[in-house]
Amino acid sequence: MRTALQPSSRNSWRLAAAFAFAALFCAILLGGVSAWLLGSVAIAGLSAAALTFNFHMPALFAIGRTAARYGERLTGHKAALADQVGHRVELFAAMAAAPAVRRAGWQLGDDARLADYLDDVEDLDYARLRAGLPALTLVCALAILIAGSAILAPLSLLPIILLLLATLFAGNRVAKAGAMAWERARSLRRGGASRLGATMASAVPLKAEHAWSRECAEALAALSRADGALLELRRLQAGLDMIGAALGPVAGISVMAVAWHAGRQGTELLLPMLLAFSWLAFGEAVNGASRMLVAVLRRNAAGAEIGQWTRDASAGRPEPAPGEVEPRLLRHGALQRRAPDGRAIGRPISLLLGGGHPTVLVGASGSGKTSLLKQIAGWIGEDALAAGDRILSAGERRALSSLVLHDAVILEDTVRANLFAGDAPDAALWRALEAVEMDGRICEAGGLDAWVRQDRFSLGEVQRINLARAWLSSRPLVLLDEPTEHLDDAQGERILERLLAHLRDRIVVVSTHRAAMPGDARTIELQP
Amino acid sequence: MKKRSAPAQGPDPAASGAFQARAAAARLAKPGLRGLLVWQIARTALRLGFAAAAAMAVGRLVIGEPVYPWLVTAAIVLLAASCLAGLAADTVQASAENVVSSGLRELAGKRLDEMPARLLQSLPVGSVIVSMQRHPEQAAALVVGHRAATIMMAAGPLLAAAVLCFVSWQAALLLVGLTPVMILFFALVGNAIRRRADAQERAFGRLAGQFADRIRTLPTILANHAMVGEEAKLARRLEDYAASTIGLLRIAFVNAGIIDFFASLSIAILAVFLGLGHLKLATIPGFSSLTLWQSLFILMIAPEYFAPFRRFSEQYHAKAEGQAAAAALDRLLDSEPIAATALPVLDHLALSLPAQGLVAVVGPSGSGKSTLLRRLAGLEQRGLSAADRLADEEIAWVSTDSFVPEGTLAEAVAWNAGAVTRDRLEDAASAIGLLDDMLLPGGLDARLDKGGANLSGGQRLRIAIARAQLSGRTVLADEPTAKLDRETAEAVRRMLLAISRSRLVVVATHDRDLAAAADITVDLTRNDAIEAAA
Repeated sequence: MRTALQPSSRNSWRLAAAFAFAALFCAILLGGVSAWLLGSVAIAGLSAAALTFNFHMPALFAIGRTAARYGERLTGHKAALADQVGHRVELFAAMAAAPAVRRAGWQLGDDARLADYLDDVEDLDYARLRAGLPALTLVCALAILIAGSAILAPLSLLPIILLLLATLFAGNRVAKAGAMAWERARSLRRGGASRLGATMASAVPLKAEHAWSRECAEALAALSRADGALLELRRLQAGLDMIGAALGPVAGISVMAVAWHAGRQGTELLLPMLLAFSWLAFGEAVNGASRMLVAVLRRNAAGAEIGQWTRDASAGRPEPAPGEVEPRLLRHGALQRRAPDGRAIGRPISLLLGGGHPTVLVGASGSGKTSLLKQIAGWIGEDALAAGDRILSAGERRALSSLVLHDAVILEDTVRANLFAGDAPDAALWRALEAVEMDGRICEAGGLDAWVRQDRFSLGEVQRINLARAWLSSRPLVLLDEPTEHLDDAQGERILERLLAHLRDRIVVVSTHRAAMPGDARTIELQP
Repeated sequence: MKKRSAPAQGPDPAASGAFQARAAAARLAKPGLRGLLVWQIARTALRLGFAAAAAMAVGRLVIGEPVYPWLVTAAIVLLAASCLAGLAADTVQASAENVVSSGLRELAGKRLDEMPARLLQSLPVGSVIVSMQRHPEQAAALVVGHRAATIMMAAGPLLAAAVLCFVSWQAALLLVGLTPVMILFFALVGNAIRRRADAQERAFGRLAGQFADRIRTLPTILANHAMVGEEAKLARRLEDYAASTIGLLRIAFVNAGIIDFFASLSIAILAVFLGLGHLKLATIPGFSSLTLWQSLFILMIAPEYFAPFRRFSEQYHAKAEGQAAAAALDRLLDSEPIAATALPVLDHLALSLPAQGLVAVVGPSGSGKSTLLRRLAGLEQRGLSAADRLADEEIAWVSTDSFVPEGTLAEAVAWNAGAVTRDRLEDAASAIGLLDDMLLPGGLDARLDKGGANLSGGQRLRIAIARAQLSGRTVLADEPTAKLDRETAEAVRRMLLAISRSRLVVVATHDRDLAAAADITVDLTRNDAIEAAA
């Protein structure tokens, strides 16, 4: 997966490339022309040539180089940022269509996985700036210098091309072995991270069993082995950079040696000297070129990884606008329950969901309550449920339902945005917050337009905001997953009672592992 | 960095007091850093040597003076040596950073090891992983790469200036004289950048993490049908942020521009002075009456003078990242334990536990059942008298957060349970209903994800019970029957009772049936807490 050029950035990239060329040529000529100038005045005094390229030349190149470098950096970043904006918005939409989002446990809800993912996105975003642009200018400069050498001192091409071949060979090695090392580092990191996560999650049992130290040490050792794989990559880079560092000086020496060998003398040597010093300046620019290769191999790895997420993405089918259909009853004679990965759970059940009375799914942990809710909401499977005289597909149910996930989170945004109530009036929002007993807390935080983050709230508060979203939802099908989790018994009961009364006219399904539920509820007991 | 009031005791500062990641990293970096500096200085010196030899050879050649073969040989040898020294420096730097990151991670692991279980449990797992994964590496880059670049910023230019003195001390003086001017510019621009960055942080800080936040919250956004609005909002916010970032970069790049400018300008000035000197148009002391090779030499050394400044400024990112990483490690590893709720019942509790039998700890939520179990296991600093603790015994802990290693179900059950035959494994697993679990197809060979991610709490708990039965250890079980369906709960009760015939089993439970089956009941709501079964 490569980042596409955004139309708005194309001009910036052109400008950046122009600046990059200008900067590199100024740098090369600054060295070359200065040397040539010194040589010519030393030999011939104030010659016509020295007058033509008078002493302002070096100063001109110096200022030109500085300005062009600045322009290159700025326009390059501008172009990359413009690409980044477009790319990230596209990626966000593609991720939303990825099937993994609707399955169990959103992996990128986890800090560590999210950090890895963001690294990948950044590697994609900046590859053009880190590798594409400098490589383009260096190759052009190289071509010109080689052409110059071919004209002035053809024999010097022999060592130059030998060294270039060595560079290519080493570069190829870095590209291949480096990509493998990078892949190994990534997989070791992932393995160590999930191992450490498992160890941390079982801290109390492991400590009690005196097994914590060993498990933790092994998880950390895996992370250190990942650093070891990175060390290998850096060693490969160092080898390539060494050959790269020799390229400019060797070429310069060769040009001078061949010119001398050809019997040139005095002023005849001035042009070769210009070329030789240009090669030296080029050598400076090549410094650390292995970073470009690493940027490319990181981009490739990142592209493959992100491609995994978006590969099976269904093309965004337009959801029918809510209100078109207003089902009063949903039924399925023999619904085969499915786990998020598609496996069948238990025997098919008969499902009859109606408005007026909430349906309660009870069952032990692991009995598939959340999966069934997602199946009803059209998040898992492609079942068709009957609604009166029509059939509702999974996609249609997705549009008609409000799924209140037990692991729903807070967006870093305003309280208002977090309630997802569109342009509902403030009074309605406050009423919802009051119903879930969050009005005081939100008042304290600064009202509806206060900027909030997940870590400012306790789990119970997050759950209550989540229930306020359900309160404000206008969809005819409301699915509540463990609505009283993280709330104490009395408060949970109070809020749920209010919410169910408020949603009386909708089809409501509640999953819970608690026994106490409102009297008029229909109960479905799930067995694993 | 947060410091505790208690003075450091003992030689290992990681064992007591604040963690001080940066100081620890610097200590770990010391041996590698020395080697790195030696190689970097060697590279610079050899490179200067090459410049001298090459300038002399070319200068003499152009003027028509004889070029000694040894001069050309020297240039080539010095070039090769400087390239090799560069290779050595790069390799040594990578190794040194690797040593530091591994060492720092090990120290952090030790620190985690010393934390009480309850504190560990309260740490946000995500940040612990991020910290252990990335922060040691970033701190290593700070104390090795960035540190070396800082030192070289002093050593490199001095070396170049010293070499220059052989030919023209005035030229050296010119370069040295330009440096304070450059540094003054640096400081001015640096201040401007900081002011801008602060202003930007105030105005746009909220937008910095929006993409990450929207990816993190994607399922919630979808569940609330907010995708269309959020996509448009994200595009708007990313654009705002990009625009403000460009505003900041416009100033930040001036910094790099200053180095470019001075490096280029010095070459231009030197070229002009030297040219005038050769033309005898002006007699500038130190710049006239030089031979061509000397002029070329000056011209070649001047960029070397500025190169260390450029390398240092390239390390800016490593510096900011490394400092943030070290601070994050300190924050994490210096976390103070959350004050435990006072549980006077437990403090007055005198328990004498039998060598075998089932002990049930009962009481409402929050009455200290789990705390009592942890104290029995010796996981809490305060509490029970030594006689009551089981800390010296081997314990099998049963709860819904029991550890599950990656591998098959058989490996998970046998983990940490000593040597177990396949038959016994099968018996234990089937007795607790693990083998006919619909969600674990494949019986003992069922694959479990890393950390048992595909397991429900009930499944983990049953794995832990089967393991406890096989291990022959004293069993501490925290709510072993909660969240289980009726049949499975019954199987768990049977299994615990069976174990209690040969060993001590202590359960903290709400389950009346389980409590009724106990030989001894500890009721934490009552003062005369302990009653033996009739």
